[in-house]
Amino acid sequence: MSSTSQKHKEFVAEPMGEKLVNALAGIGEVLGKRLEEKGFDKAYVVLGQFLVLKKDEELFRDWLKDTCGANVKQQGDCYGCLREWCDSFL
Amino acid sequence: MPVFVEDPAQFSKPRLKSELIAHNVTLPAVESKKQVYVELYLKHIVQKSAADFSSDEEDDDVVEVQDSQDFEEEKDPEMLDPSVLTDEELKTTLLKYGVEAGPIVATTRSIYERKLQRLLKPAQPRQNGGTGDADQYSDSEGDEESVSQQGSPETVSLMEENLHVDIRFESRIPLSSSGPEIKRGNNRSNNQGPRPRPYWQEVATVDKYTMTNRSLFVTPKTSLFKRQIKEPVTDVLMEMFPETEPTPTGIAATRRRPIKGAAGRPVQFKYPDLPASPMTLQRWAVEHRLVPLWVQILVFFIVACLLYLIYAAMEDSLANPFVTLLDNLSMETETEGLSLQAEP
Repeated sequence: MSSTSQKHKEFVAEPMGEKLVNALAGIGEVLGKRLEEKGFDKAYVVLGQFLVLKKDEELFRDWLKDTCGANVKQQGDCYGCLREWCDSFL
Repeated sequence: MPVFVEDPAQFSKPRLKSELIAHNVTLPAVESKKQVYVELYLKHIVQKSAADFSSDEEDDDVVEVQDSQDFEEEKDPEMLDPSVLTDEELKTTLLKYGVEAGPIVATTRSIYERKLQRLLKPAQPRQNGGTGDADQYSDSEGDEESVSQQGSPETVSLMEENLHVDIRFESRIPLSSSGPEIKRGNNRSNNQGPRPRPYWQEVATVDKYTMTNRSLFVTPKTSLFKRQIKEPVTDVLMEMFPETEPTPTGIAATRRRPIKGAAGRPVQFKYPDLPASPMTLQRWAVEHRLVPLWVQILVFFIVACLLYLIYAAMEDSLANPFVTLLDNLSMETETEGLSLQAEP
């Protein structure tokens, strides 16, 4: 239904390595900063949280909203991005 | 890694609200700022949970502390206040509701607590069930009262596990009507087609104190809404054309009254004496003959009259004019012949 953004495509194309959280789809400057303040400074840390929540969409969305105040679209983008990355590389 | 639980200022407003409700604290006015909620939260809750939280390593201690401190405030100690539960208890409680919880660590604890609270929430009747999908896609965090009550359905509805809650709920909470009928597989597709509503939205439609095990058909509010929109449209059409039979496609062509005399239609019933416009005259002309009949007859009569007048203008009598003409002609030829013979 919704097409994936350029950011999404770039992120899922390769292992995330040491990419920053800003590289995640749906996470821009503001949200990235908030995440970093909470200690999620790298994308893999957010991935860690995603995995700890057992890749559950609702929980991850809740967590994202709670942590950095992402709106529904941003939550969805981030979740989709991580999930697809996991499908390819995990 | 930051610890989420201890910092109420970090909580979202609905979280604070739900915490206050869980502790039977009266809520401030709806429009009040988050700070008010934080203060109330700090006032009422922190003092209680501080003691409990410090001893969350052992189950026994927690139970004792619960009994001593929470006895007055909580009727069902474990049900209303997930924050006093240990990780293990929280996990088992969630499992009771059919939620397969992952590891409950610092970062995930608050999430699972909130989830448990959402699961406990159906005790409150939903007042704004009519907000429907409108709130789901609102970006604002502060304006999430209805969303929180509906349990942020855009996320919950995608979670099929919530529906499993109904199965376990029967023994605990009177709402059970939406029980085992709504079973879904564990496919985590984002398919929002039949849009499963959170079960607690169904409270509005079901008397919460009836322990009926009848299946409750989950009619997504979106389709209801759309149906309501569509209905007036069809009614208008039916009003306008009441005698049209409903066709399968819904399209009915209305017959236009045929224009008499046009496009080859026979003029059976003459129009009343309307002043015939030149256009109609011409149209009639084209329709019948190149030259209309009456014009032909008129011309004929005119010509006949002219000839008669010419004839009448002659002074000769009417008696047998042809004979006289022939005589004249024969006489002329004779004279010519004689003249020709005479000359040479």
